[in-house]
Amino acid sequence: MKKRIHWLRWVGVAFIALWTLIPLYWTLNTSLQTDAQASSKPAFYIPPTPTFNNYASLLAGNGDIPESVRSSFLNTLIECGAATIVTVIIATLAAYAFARMKFRGRQALFYAVLATMAFPAYTTLIPLYKIMTWFGLVNTYTGIVLVYVSGFLPLATWILYNYMSSLPVAIEEAAGIDGASRMQVLRHVVVPLARPGIVSTAIITFLFAWGQFLFPLVLSSDISTEPLTVVIASLQGRHVVPFSLMSAAGIIAIAIPAAIAVVLNRYIVSGLLTGSVK
Amino acid sequence: MTVGIATGGRPSVREDGPRPVRRRKRKFDPLPWLLVSPLMIFIIALALVPAGFTIGASFFRVQELNPPAVFNGIQNFVKLFSDGAIVSSIGNTGLYVLIGVALSTLLGIVFAVVLQQRFRGRSALVAILILPWALPGVVEGIVWVNIWDGNTGLLNSVLTSLHLIGHYQVFLGQNQFVTILLIEIVQVWQITPLSALLILAALQNIPGDLYEAASLDGASPWQTFRRVTMPLIRPGITIAMVQAVIATLNVFDQPYVLNGAAATGSSVTMQTYFVSFQSLDFGEGYALSLLITVATLVVSFVVLKLVYRPVEF
Repeated sequence: MKKRIHWLRWVGVAFIALWTLIPLYWTLNTSLQTDAQASSKPAFYIPPTPTFNNYASLLAGNGDIPESVRSSFLNTLIECGAATIVTVIIATLAAYAFARMKFRGRQALFYAVLATMAFPAYTTLIPLYKIMTWFGLVNTYTGIVLVYVSGFLPLATWILYNYMSSLPVAIEEAAGIDGASRMQVLRHVVVPLARPGIVSTAIITFLFAWGQFLFPLVLSSDISTEPLTVVIASLQGRHVVPFSLMSAAGIIAIAIPAAIAVVLNRYIVSGLLTGSVK
Repeated sequence: MTVGIATGGRPSVREDGPRPVRRRKRKFDPLPWLLVSPLMIFIIALALVPAGFTIGASFFRVQELNPPAVFNGIQNFVKLFSDGAIVSSIGNTGLYVLIGVALSTLLGIVFAVVLQQRFRGRSALVAILILPWALPGVVEGIVWVNIWDGNTGLLNSVLTSLHLIGHYQVFLGQNQFVTILLIEIVQVWQITPLSALLILAALQNIPGDLYEAASLDGASPWQTFRRVTMPLIRPGITIAMVQAVIATLNVFDQPYVLNGAAATGSSVTMQTYFVSFQSLDFGEGYALSLLITVATLVVSFVVLKLVYRPVEF
């Protein structure tokens, strides 16, 4: 019986690894082939003559497609970076108040914030479009960042609230007795102690922002602000773009989140679990 | 940090919960309000007000090309159900939810049981597992188009090499069930890592002596799993299923990229987008958004009622 369990375990391990990696390998494989090789039947399971031409033409070439990939890459970085920084700062301030201070209506406010997590994000798509139109914020970085921040704040606050609540209060009280103001306690005691929670929150927020599609499709769909997801979906819609080039664009779009996920997965796992289990 | 002498202050022991504040202030304390106000401004202005707007405006005729907005009761909802594309998208979405919730929960349980074991390379496997969760759905759509494609896809290549099919087949956009199954597999690929982690967390909460007791009583591994493990991970399974319900009921990226606007795979969220931003009938879009929201809450609640059982160790 023991033997069989052991054998089954490795089947399970292999299944998880293959299920996750085969699709990604296949995209990488296609991206390293010429257009002709990528369309051969049957397919080449490894690139016969590996070439970085697809990457070179997207990253350094001229023309409509390479330029929109490059500018949207920059847009994605700016929008995700800004949304992450603003979300983490606002959520840290609020989580500290919710976790450590007493004030009238604290519970009601906290539940109101959490309740917004239960609604599907797209409930607010059309009104947000209207609001952004009224304020002239469609196709601006500000507009899309405001929408991202409002969408990610409840989860970020919730993760940080749980993390701060789990910290021992004695150190903060000692700092308070030593004469530190509450803002000093937050800056010099709570934030350093809560750093793992803050890192988790920042990573999860950044990855969520990187994956957004429908909101930017509606709110920032011209070349000045559109993120990679919008550009890639529009390339897919035009059937003239060859698979080899599409795959290279796909790899460019997932390189950063994939690296974050592999290197910092510990923070993601702990953040997601404090964010949803309690 | 300054070290001062607290004159007259006393480090009192309180039983009303921890807080770092030194003195109990009688007068109004503005600091907590200042700290939560940026959050509340965002939540009110960009979540609660828009959500209220969706509810209210779904009872108005709001057409960009035909202003002004006029109250028209439940006309938007009536119109929705007479629109063939929307009715078929409701059926499609039902299938997405069924397939997606079932598959992601089953795979999530299997993955969690594998990851609960101790073996070399376990942390590397967790890093691999989390990848599809971390990547944009749109790009995952591109990744899988390259597998399902009728001209150059991996699946066709493998199936012909194995002589299981004589020549390349077109899988997407032909048969409705096959199309939805293949698109939903792509979403399952994305949402299963979170399901697995949630169920794994529940597994790791089970005290080891319960397993010892079961094995002392002569229970087989399968009996132990059925009678000890499964009942105790129900809370984890519930959360995993609820997140799957929310994701699948609102599926957009995968069908949009893999199948375009074609009716074989169109979801309700896609129809909301088309109705609002292509037909510019915002009233109908509001009504459809409201329907998805209500459906999400109702289905989540039903799953909660059916699956959740409180567990105490």
